Amino acid sequence: MATGGGGDDAGEKRVTDRYLKREVLGEGTYGVVFKAIDTKTGETVAIKRIRLGKYKEGVNFTALREIKLLKELKDPNIIELIDAFPYKGNLHLVFEFMETDLEAVIRDRNIVLSPADIKSYIQMMLKGLAFCHKKWVLHRDMKPNNLLIGAEGQLKLGDFGLARIFGSPERNFTHQVFARWYRAPELLFGTKQYGSAVDVWAAGCIFAELLLRRPFLQGSSDIDQLGKIFAAFGTPKSSQWPDMVCLPDYVEYQFVSAPPLRSLFPMASDDALDLLSRMFTYDPKARITAQQALEHRYFSSVPAPTKPNLLPRPKLKGDPGNDKIPDLNLHGAPVVVSPPRKLRRVSAPDGIESNAYRAEKAEEHPTTGMRRSEGMSSQSSRIPMSVDVGVVFGTRPAPRPTLNSADKSRLKRKLDMDPEFEYAE
Amino acid sequence: MAANFWASSHSKQLLDPEEVDVVPAADRERGITPVEFRLVKIHMSFHIWRLAQQVKVRQRVIATAITYFRRVYTRKSMTEYDPRLVAPACLYLASKVEESTVQARLLVFYIKKMCGSDDKYRFEIKDILEMEMKLLEALDYYLVVYHPYRPLLQLLQDAGITDLTQFAWGLVNDTYKMDLILIYPPYMIALACIYIASVLKDKDTTSWFEELRVDMNIVKNISMEILDFYDTYKIDPQRGLQEDKIIPVMNKLPSKA
Repeated sequence: MATGGGGDDAGEKRVTDRYLKREVLGEGTYGVVFKAIDTKTGETVAIKRIRLGKYKEGVNFTALREIKLLKELKDPNIIELIDAFPYKGNLHLVFEFMETDLEAVIRDRNIVLSPADIKSYIQMMLKGLAFCHKKWVLHRDMKPNNLLIGAEGQLKLGDFGLARIFGSPERNFTHQVFARWYRAPELLFGTKQYGSAVDVWAAGCIFAELLLRRPFLQGSSDIDQLGKIFAAFGTPKSSQWPDMVCLPDYVEYQFVSAPPLRSLFPMASDDALDLLSRMFTYDPKARITAQQALEHRYFSSVPAPTKPNLLPRPKLKGDPGNDKIPDLNLHGAPVVVSPPRKLRRVSAPDGIESNAYRAEKAEEHPTTGMRRSEGMSSQSSRIPMSVDVGVVFGTRPAPRPTLNSADKSRLKRKLDMDPEFEYAE
Repeated sequence: MAANFWASSHSKQLLDPEEVDVVPAADRERGITPVEFRLVKIHMSFHIWRLAQQVKVRQRVIATAITYFRRVYTRKSMTEYDPRLVAPACLYLASKVEESTVQARLLVFYIKKMCGSDDKYRFEIKDILEMEMKLLEALDYYLVVYHPYRPLLQLLQDAGITDLTQFAWGLVNDTYKMDLILIYPPYMIALACIYIASVLKDKDTTSWFEELRVDMNIVKNISMEILDFYDTYKIDPQRGLQEDKIIPVMNKLPSKA
């Protein structure tokens, strides 16, 4: 693409030449997704057309994040961004085509998940997550719906629209991330500085959901969510989580003690329970990491994880004669009603920040003074943009720097780099 | 960002010195010489920096914007991609990528304020947004860029010469008036700036550099390039290139006006 013409003609040719458009797959958060055939590789792909929405903000912010991070993240357990191109004024992102997602698997009452199947899904999920964290990327929107499943049964992390790079100390992040049911307690207490542990908590919720076949902690509000968490694991004592009381939205909850974990997951193995309890550790600093979780004995004990291509899969929508079945099939079964997607992505209980773009802005300037006082930003405000050579070398105080040849040779001599210079003395 | 540079797209995108600073054919036909090509890039780096001062963004955003700008012209001509528009569009894109969005209408407002008299620099919001899309393509959608600032602070700390921070930081800023960020790993640029700073301020860092086990030839080469840059251009850090130097060059480039 580096040499490409970039004009509209090139784009037009390309979409017809390279991609054969098929049916619309759905409406994503920021545009239509359709199926297509990549004639270059013969593979089926999913193309997201990024809506330019209000023509005042250019390329959608969420889409830009996804592009930025997925160009850096290439891993078998992370969705691949194959290509991107503008076409008729819209940006198009080409992803590998994924047949279904983990939510569909969990909700399909015709599917029986063996302990080995669950282990396989959890392992693939943790591998993808560990890779993200190794690259200092937080996913921040882990939920079954975003764990995509390919034709060969492989599970991949998708939807990096909320993801961001972490590891920069002292940067404040918004705590309004994750669907509520997957939100870690530190986020619910309003922490602004968090790390990969938030993804691990969500991964724990997904693990639990696979075991239970229903969302584990279904809070109806942030407060209720914490209540559900405490009901399951007991109210955290400060000995368990010393930093808790310092969190911005910390409130004291009435003490409840934890029921035995075994009572919540009667069918799970001891190893599974042990891993779960480590993923649900209250103190984010003590919570197991994705990499450590992969090394947990749960994954080395029997049964071995099912091979991806042998995993049970839901009947596909596109299958002939099966077109509108999924809803009918669910007849009588408990239907999981998730809150609307938009609401889940950046939920704003106080109704102030209602879109992701603005929430992001708010996050960047929480209290400008505070942010400015940290790290690089302070450096840049205090320190002149440029070095005034004249002043530095003490030749003169003038604002207009020049470096005369005497200065230059002195410098080069000092630096011992001038190949012409001879130590003639 | 503390991520791993070596695993990043930035490290894979590094170019050889011969690959940057090549005047594209279309610009050559307009009579742009290699020296002039460099002048335009310096001039527009200043333009980005001044604009950034107006809209108040972090140093990182400026650095990323200038890196985008310079990357674009390793692939595209100034004849086809008007640098007067590419510069603000790079700042716009960089501000989004670095998660501190500046609205396009603000940029348009401040460009008007800064370059009021010169119509060639004035653009509408829609111009910037259209260019944003073209930039993404020109950059092949690789957006993550690493900078010498973070390694600089860490290395200065490690060497125990944090009193040089201000000086070395200014040197790093000036490296963005060259194409160094397209060629060398950011920490090498940081080392070169530390090297210059420590020599000029008479700090003995010889043994510290030896323990680092980096290729000192590269560090010295970068240092030399930086010094040569100061020597060649003698730029006023506040005002940028002298007008009589740059205006005739800019006039060789087509503009929408």
